[in-house]
Parts: sequence; structure tokens; C-alpha cells
Amino acid sequence: MTTSIYPFTAIVGQEDMKLALVLNIINPALGGVLIKGEKGTAKSTAVRALADLLPAMEVTAGCRFQCDPHSPANLCAGCRDRRNAGHAVTGKPAKMRVIELPVSATEDRVVGTLDIEHAIKEGEKRFEPGILADANRNILYVDEINLLDDHVVDVLLDAAAMGVNTVEREGVSYSHPAKFVLVGTMNPEEGDIRPQLVDRFGLSVTVKGEHEPQQRVEVIKRRLAYEQDPERFTVQYEAEQQQLAGQITQARQLLPKINLPDDLLLLTAKVAIVLEVDGHRADITVIKTAITLAAFAGRTTVTPEDLRQAARLALPHRMRRRPFEEGVLDWDKIEAVFTEHRA
Amino acid sequence: MVQRIGFPFAAVVGQELAKQALLIAAVNPKAGGVLLSGEKGTAKSTLVRALAQLLEKSRLIELPLNATEDMVFGSIDIQKAIQLGVRAATPGLLARADGHLLYIDEINLLRREIVSGILDVSSTGLNVVEREALSCVFPARFILIGSMNPEEGSLSPQLLDRFGMMVTVAGEHDPGVRAEIVRRILAYERDPAAFCLLYQEQSKQLRERISAAQQCLHRVELSEAMLELAAQYCSQACSAGHRGEYYLVEVARSIAALAGRLYVLPDDITDAAKLVLPHRLQQQSPETATADQPEPEAEPPNQAESPDEAENNQEQAPPGLPDQEDPRQAEPECQDEHTQEQNAGDTERTADIGAIPLMGQLNLNTRDRQARQGAGKRSLTRSNTKLGRYVRAEIRPDLVSDLALDATLRAAAAYQRVRPRGRCALTIYRQDWRKKIREKRIGSIFLFVVDASGSMGARERMKAVKGTVMALLQDAYQKRDQVGLIAFRRDHAELLLPVTRSVDLAQKCLKHLPTGGKTPLAEGMLMTLEVLQALKRRDKDVQPVVVLVTDGRANSQSDAVTAALEASRQLGETGVHSLVIDTEQDFIKLGIAGKIARQLGGAYYKLEELSAQKMIQIVNTLR
Repeated sequence: MTTSIYPFTAIVGQEDMKLALVLNIINPALGGVLIKGEKGTAKSTAVRALADLLPAMEVTAGCRFQCDPHSPANLCAGCRDRRNAGHAVTGKPAKMRVIELPVSATEDRVVGTLDIEHAIKEGEKRFEPGILADANRNILYVDEINLLDDHVVDVLLDAAAMGVNTVEREGVSYSHPAKFVLVGTMNPEEGDIRPQLVDRFGLSVTVKGEHEPQQRVEVIKRRLAYEQDPERFTVQYEAEQQQLAGQITQARQLLPKINLPDDLLLLTAKVAIVLEVDGHRADITVIKTAITLAAFAGRTTVTPEDLRQAARLALPHRMRRRPFEEGVLDWDKIEAVFTEHRA
Repeated sequence: MVQRIGFPFAAVVGQELAKQALLIAAVNPKAGGVLLSGEKGTAKSTLVRALAQLLEKSRLIELPLNATEDMVFGSIDIQKAIQLGVRAATPGLLARADGHLLYIDEINLLRREIVSGILDVSSTGLNVVEREALSCVFPARFILIGSMNPEEGSLSPQLLDRFGMMVTVAGEHDPGVRAEIVRRILAYERDPAAFCLLYQEQSKQLRERISAAQQCLHRVELSEAMLELAAQYCSQACSAGHRGEYYLVEVARSIAALAGRLYVLPDDITDAAKLVLPHRLQQQSPETATADQPEPEAEPPNQAESPDEAENNQEQAPPGLPDQEDPRQAEPECQDEHTQEQNAGDTERTADIGAIPLMGQLNLNTRDRQARQGAGKRSLTRSNTKLGRYVRAEIRPDLVSDLALDATLRAAAAYQRVRPRGRCALTIYRQDWRKKIREKRIGSIFLFVVDASGSMGARERMKAVKGTVMALLQDAYQKRDQVGLIAFRRDHAELLLPVTRSVDLAQKCLKHLPTGGKTPLAEGMLMTLEVLQALKRRDKDVQPVVVLVTDGRANSQSDAVTAALEASRQLGETGVHSLVIDTEQDFIKLGIAGKIARQLGGAYYKLEELSAQKMIQIVNTLR
């Protein structure tokens, strides 16, 4: 049993998946990523490997919800009371984490419930926080999200939409911030997920096993090397890991300064109309992704190329398949809009 | 509540009708609240939350989907009972919402008992608590606001009727407008405070308009003529009962008040009708009740282009009533023309979906069934494991596991004064023990096997088939059934939709299903067999239902009919429940579909004998 994590940068190929995950760390407002793919395509490995790259943040000392001491608007009730009462709210360094939500989790474990021990011993109602509390300001990872119970999906949707978890159950009434990056993985062979849940994901990627024999060999080689001596293997990738972590930090700083040419907004709207997507979430996500891509590349201005790449990540799961037709995302339609734009 | 600077009401682009309805609801509690229905990502909840910021005295109380009954309606106050020995009630969400707005997002996903309980309270303004040896009444006069995505299931007509107003929202279709929406959201997210400052003046004006309207509302007069006009609208809309008129009048008065007038104009009534009547058209006069019979000849341009459109149709005003503006209406029409043109050369066409029976009727039908059978197999089922949603508790002194602690504490709390005190704060006796009752949705699997050959395209047959299957799909989704779709034409069968819970996908698939070519019936049956075997491998307890729609005229190979019968025999041997719908309409009937049904050991019906409603009944008896 080893406690080390397989290095993110050592994952062979799967560029889209890696990019989508990194973009979400840079900009948690993107709305997470849904990773679809067959078994054994490093989906879970990649998500767990993120832990190493996650940026440092400041959390309020003694707070159950990792409140940001510098963001008064997003404090939990406890932190706000302390602040209003004039107590100092002190921060302490922490690291963003990956919180896992097991498919078997019950609703009360997810949203939180009555603190049994306290109720029996003291006769007082107290809220016992659940997984959504841990997930605030972190990454919430649901493996096999398509197998999740319907009613757990409902509460997850509720929280994801609002950034707040409101609990009204088993005698307790409580509300706390629950802003998280939702990362889900699924194997489509085992069933689909509800369109409404899919829509909550900012990005989606489909992963496939590598087809190049050489690449496949490389995958196995690295895996074997890692299992033989995890520490030595990890050291080999340390430089690359640090470089990527640095790039992420820089991009996070650059993010608020990115400049978005106005015509690209119009271009995005046209793409959304041509593709007949539901509602406006698609447009918003494409733009935000393009901005994040520019930041990741170290640029201060969004280019049409950023937009094209953003469309590739943000639109596929908002498309509908038509019978007797191949392909999900009609690239010709998107290209036509881009061409018209250039003209 | 977490305090944050919300998106300003005035900054929401478009959605004028929804905005108007929300303002009316805020001005006049008698207007009966509002239900916003529409596709995802159309600012429904943003608008509701933004409205709350405009109100000075009232707050927005949100009811989350995880709410348990005791929290909604109130229960015994555990702390008081234990610490002071007082048997007191603690108000639930509804009582807390007294004088405020009560918002239920995804109201169609909330448990039915809770929804109807809430609507009862909202109509009387009183929240009566009768539980745990308590009996008390809390005032609960709130303005009810709900939002829902109809793709996820509908509300029953009874519940719909309790809402004063209903608005269907949709996304914008103009690139400039769409761009503006994104621009504003980006600006807001970058700096909420600065963004709100931009709309400060507009927000202030709205606030003043609301409070002015609230103050003058009781002075707004309604002439006899206007009252008659309102009644006329309602009778044209065949709205059942008199709630329609009542809300119509109140909404019209609110519109006048918001405009700063003290009298109601005919236009106010017309505008009010757009908000009050759409969801009351569901219970219609007898002639529309037969609308589930597809009509080959009449085909108004906007009729049933897609499931969404069809749904809108019921919500739209009948002729003579003002049309609710629906930006989506114009668009699919031209698109469809295009597809047909394209397909003409390929001897392939895509049939429309025949008129779909009113959803309300489907619901009535299913509830009926539930009442007879108790917890139906396809709907909520009590779960014996610890999985499923905790819905209520029952007395179980012999309890082994899954204690409902909250209910147990409440039961014990009432007697703490008279019981000896141990080391813990509470003394709990065996008779206090409560067990959690959990519910779980269990759906079935429907496998639709549809003949998409050229012969099916003739004489609107495909349209009728699509309408019938679509009705089943609607019913299936609301019960969280799984569905799969196999179509066969030309020389092969194709699994268009692997078994999935997404009925939405099935609908889109079906909508665009083209017809043309020969009839490879045997291939279709063999693929069905394959899919069924795969399903059984995954879960041996599944009981799928196969619905085969064909005219039986297999002709893809020389002995096509024999092959088809043989494949059907194999399929029949698996013991699967099946239903064959025969679409053969030719003058000389070959009756092959009937033979296939016999091989399958399944039920057999002719398409023309079937209304969609009847079909649902049949399918329900199959399991």
C-alpha cells in the first residue's frame, strides 16, 4: 500500500481531459468537467493526481466549511457571526483538496444531518455537516456519476446551482456555502445521466484508450515503473509537476486581467444559435473557457482560436444525437460560423 | 442564509413576461403566485432571487428538495420539551414564510405529498400542525413561486391550477441579445458590487413602482364590463372551476396598479389572460379529449413539431385568445421544411410527431392506477434497504436498524418531565422508537422496436406511430423508467438509443427518425434479442417490455417473413413481455404482424384501435 500519488504529468496522452481539469483549477467558475470513457482510461487516476497540482488557499481557522476570510460575502453563518461580533477572523494556509463522493452515499451523508451524539447527550439540535460541507471551495469528485441515486442527484443539482447547501431535514434547518468544482466520471456503457445534471457540467471530454502501439507501450512502462518504486518515479516528474503548478498559479493571477474582444461574444452567440442549444449556459461557459485558455497560455487577449478550442470542450454534451447520423458535435456548422466571422 | 450581492432584476435581459408575472405576484398576494416553466439555463431562478432583493418587507424563503415533512409543516420543539418540559411546537418552513415569498425550485421533483400540502396551506393561509401530540395553527400567508423544467416531469393539473400565473420561458434567439446576456454575466461575476451600482437607479425605480402599486392596489376599480370580459376569456379557455376568473381579475388589477392606474382597461385583462390561462387549458372540453387520436389531414404549421412544441400547444391560448409569445415557435418550422426538401431526393422523409395527448390526462390516468394498486412497481416503492430517500417515520418498538432519530427524539421529548433522568439528556423508551421509511423510485425498461421502412412512411402512419410512442415516453420519463430505441430499415437494424434514463434523448431520436427503404424485420428482432440478453447479463432481475411497431411486411430478403417469424419465436422463448402494434393499412392485409405477436407470446393491437391513453393502460398491465 502506497500513499503517493501518480504524477499528473506522467499520464500519457488524454490531452483534452488533462486540459479540462487544469482549466477548472485555474478558474473554478467554469463549472467542472464530465469525463466520459471506457474502463481503464486513467479517468480516476487523473482526477486523483490533481491533488498534487492544486493551489494553496487561505481558510478561516476553526471553520467547518473552509470559508475564505477575505471574501465576506461568502462566509458561513458561524464565521459571519464571529465577524459581526467583532472577533478576529484569522486565516490559515490550506490546500485545495479533492473530496470524493461515493456512489453509495446516502442523502443525509451528502447534505448533512442531525448530530446524533449531541442530540442524545445534550438534548440540543445541532447540524452535522456532510460531504457538501467538505466540498466547499474544493473539488467534488463523483466516480461513476451515472450510477448515482436519483434523489442524491437532485440535491447535488440544488447545491451546484446555488453554491449554497440548504438543509431542512431530520429536525435541523441549516444553510452553508457549498461552492465546488464538480468532477464526474462515467462509463457510458453503463447508462446515461440526466440531461439536467449534464448541463450543470461546464466542460465534457470523452477519453479513449490510446491506439498507437508505441503510446500503449509507454502507458504500461510508466505504470510498471511507478508500481515498482513510486518514490523514484515521482521524483523523475518533479520538475514537470512544478512547472505545471507554476503555470497554473500564473494563469490564476492573470485571469482577472484577460481582455475579451466584443466580436467574440457575438460569434459565440451565433454558434449557440446554429447548434440549437438549450438556454444560455452554453454561451457563458464557452466564453469563460476561452478566457481561461488565454490565461493558461499566458496571453492577455482571447483569440478566435481560444474560442474554437473552448467550443470543443464546452459544447459536446449539450448536443443531441440524431438517428442514422454519425458524430455528436457538428463541426462543419461551427466552422461555417467561424468562416463567416472572418469574412 | 448566506448573504451575497445577487444579480439585479433590472439587469436580466428579455424574459419580459416572466418579469411581469413576478412583479404582479409581489404586488398582490391574491394573484396566486407564479410558476416559471422552461428549459434549463433560462434565468428562472436568477429572476426569482433577484425579485426578492427588490422587496423591502419580504424575504425569499427557499424550500430545498431535501426537505422532510416535519421541517416543512412544523413539529414539536425538542429543545424546549427537554430543557423546560414544555410541549411546544416549532414552526416549519411554511410558517417561517408567513408574509414572505416561498420559492420552490424544481417543484416538479418535490415529493407529491409535500407539494399538495403546501398548496393547501397556501390557499387557506393557515398551517395546521397535528402531530406528536401537538395541535396548533400557524399563520402562513406567503406568495408561492415555483420553477421547473418540464423535461423532468410535469405537475398534475390540480396542482397547476393552484398557481395563479404560469409563464413558459425560453432562451433568446437573437445573437446580439445572447451576447449581451453573456456580457452582463461576465461583468457581474467580475465585480458584483460595481455591476449592481450600474443598475442602482433602475432598481430604485422598480422598488418604488412596486411599493406604489402595493399601496394603490386596493383602490383599483373593476367595472362590470371588465368582469364580463374576464368571464368570457375563461369560458373560451374552458377553464374548470372559478379559480381562473378570480386570478384573472386579481392579476388584471395588479397590472393596472403597476401602471399607476386606478381602473382596469381591456388590455389589462388581455395581458392577465396570457399569464392566468395557459395552464388552465389542460382540462378541456370533450372534443379536445379525443385529440390523442392523430389526425392525418389537418396539420396547422405549429402543431406538434417536437415534444416541447407539443407541450407548448396545450399551454397556448386557443383561437380567440391572445397568444403567449413564444420565440421558439417560428424556428422549427422552416427547419422542418428544409429536412423534407433534402429528403425528397433520397426517397426518405421524416414524419412529424402526431398530436400528443394532453399530459394532464396521462397524469390522471396514472394516479388512478396507483390508487388501485397501491405503491406501483413503476413508481415510488418502499425500500427495505437503507437506500432511498427518508420520507417519514413509523412506530417500531421492535426496531433493529435504521432508527429515525429525529422522530424518536420528538416522540420521547413530550414525556421527559415525567420520566426518570439518566446520564443522558433524554430518557428514551422502547415505545418511542421510530424507524425510517424510505422510498425509492424503481422504473422498468421499455424497448421500442420501430419499423422505419418506406411502407411506414405512407399515409401519415409514421406520424401516428411517433405520436403514440411519444406519449409512452412522456409517461415513462415521469416514472423514471428506462427506455431504448431500435429502428430497422433498408438492410439493417440499428440500436438508435441504448437503454437509458434519458427520455429526452429518445424523444429527439424519434423526432428525427427518417423512413424509407425495405423492411428488415428479422434483423430488427435479432437485434432486440441481443439487447435483451445484454440487459439480462447486467441485472438478471430486470423485466423489460418490448414494444414492436410494424406493418409486418418483411421484404429485405427472399424468405424475409419466415426469418422474421423464426427470430420472433426465439425472442418469445426468453419470456419477455411484449406488445405488437400492427400498422398495416393496405387493402389486402397479410396479417404478418399478428403471426409475429403469436410467436412472441405477446399482446397484439392494431394502430387504428389505439389511443395513446389506451396504450399506456395496456403497457401498464403487461408487467
